[in-house]
Amino acid sequence: MTGEPPLTLRVNGEERTVPEVAADTRLLDLLRWRLGLKGTKEGCRTGGCGACTVLVNGESVLSCLTLAREMERQEVTTVEGLTGTPEAEAVQQAFAEAGAVQCGYCTPGFVLALVSLRREHGASPPDLPTLANELGGNLCRCTGYYAIVRALADLLGVPVTSELPKSTFTVEPGGSP
Amino acid sequence: MAYALHFPRSFEEAFRLLDPQGQPPALPLAGGTDLLPAVEAGRWHPGALVSLSRLPLATFERAGDEVLIGGTLPLRRLEREPAIGELLPGFAEALREVGSVPLRHRATLGGNVVRASPASDLLPPLLALEASLDLRSQHGRRRVALVDFLRGSWETTLQRGELVERIRVPVPRPGSYRWQRVRPANDISQVGVATALVTSDARSPWRIAAGGMESHPQRLSGAEAALPQEDPSPGEIEEAVHRAREGTRLKDDRRAGEEYRRHLLGVLLRRSITSTVERARSMKGRRT
Repeated sequence: MTGEPPLTLRVNGEERTVPEVAADTRLLDLLRWRLGLKGTKEGCRTGGCGACTVLVNGESVLSCLTLAREMERQEVTTVEGLTGTPEAEAVQQAFAEAGAVQCGYCTPGFVLALVSLRREHGASPPDLPTLANELGGNLCRCTGYYAIVRALADLLGVPVTSELPKSTFTVEPGGSP
Repeated sequence: MAYALHFPRSFEEAFRLLDPQGQPPALPLAGGTDLLPAVEAGRWHPGALVSLSRLPLATFERAGDEVLIGGTLPLRRLEREPAIGELLPGFAEALREVGSVPLRHRATLGGNVVRASPASDLLPPLLALEASLDLRSQHGRRRVALVDFLRGSWETTLQRGELVERIRVPVPRPGSYRWQRVRPANDISQVGVATALVTSDARSPWRIAAGGMESHPQRLSGAEAALPQEDPSPGEIEEAVHRAREGTRLKDDRRAGEEYRRHLLGVLLRRSITSTVERARSMKGRRT
């Protein structure tokens, strides 16, 4: 890897310079293996599972599909960077109350996806089926979706009046009939 | 798998780096959500990737009776543009079905169009909306209708060294997109059907396009011709469904068999027409 240039970016609020970052290094690998931030998980490595979700400039991004050097001078936030913030406490509380953690492998990705959706929607969140669909890129192999969607609904103040609509989890042809 | 990575700050520099004679070829890198897994899997062997992230291509503009969408505008930003939901409701609902939110924060419209995937959820609505592309290379610019740009599955008339500067879509146009897949989110559609209405055409005001076909997404002109008016009769709708089903060669693969796809094409077309008729009513008065 000699001869590769260094990379300067902001990670969890701190400026970091990493020497010799190869062109084909993924953001996921930079975070885990060069910066030791192992809260970001590797799942499918093809953009299909959401386990590697981080925030780039505040928006959820799949770190397995992002080249590290695209992050020059950008702001990257991992699950470690949320620790102790009011936002993290709100998410933790919502997860705990809904019982939304099982084995935990998918949890960092879900947490960052939730934080991103909460920031995007602010005070005017969409309805529950839309929100559930917007979490669809994160897979949980313990099958805990109901509780996770519930946590998101609680976090955004979206009422869960009765059972979640069945269509949230079963296949219907796209959109309303 | 080693490749160089460049971040040009001007089009001149980008076109120099994307030299069409270069071997192995240099490829433009937009969102990377499709390109990077393909390179890692060894399907492509670029000598260099030329990032478009420093070029002024992530733009959105309404200009008269068109919206101009920059080639590298992330899909999520496009989806959240109020003008898209208001003026192009069918395109807006297709945008929400691509990949997932984190993927759409980086995936771009230009990238989706040049990949020309037979299962693209965006090409059917863009075809039904009669979109066109502004392409730019070191030799200058050219404009091409999307319908002429697409040549086959994964095949377009894009030249090496050419970039998608803008996607032009006429507005406002009532429309809708209906699809079917195995899983509702983060999956690829088996069939997707888009319909849209134009204001004046002696033959038919309907524009219909579908994905999940044997080749790339295409217009279904036979079905369009069966619908001579904006508010079609039940008989006319059934004739359009019949012509779409009979006149279309559909894909037959592990995602769905051809007969099932034929069934879906009819069901989804019927639903899309009905939805577009309703939207046309509610958009009346706001249309040019």
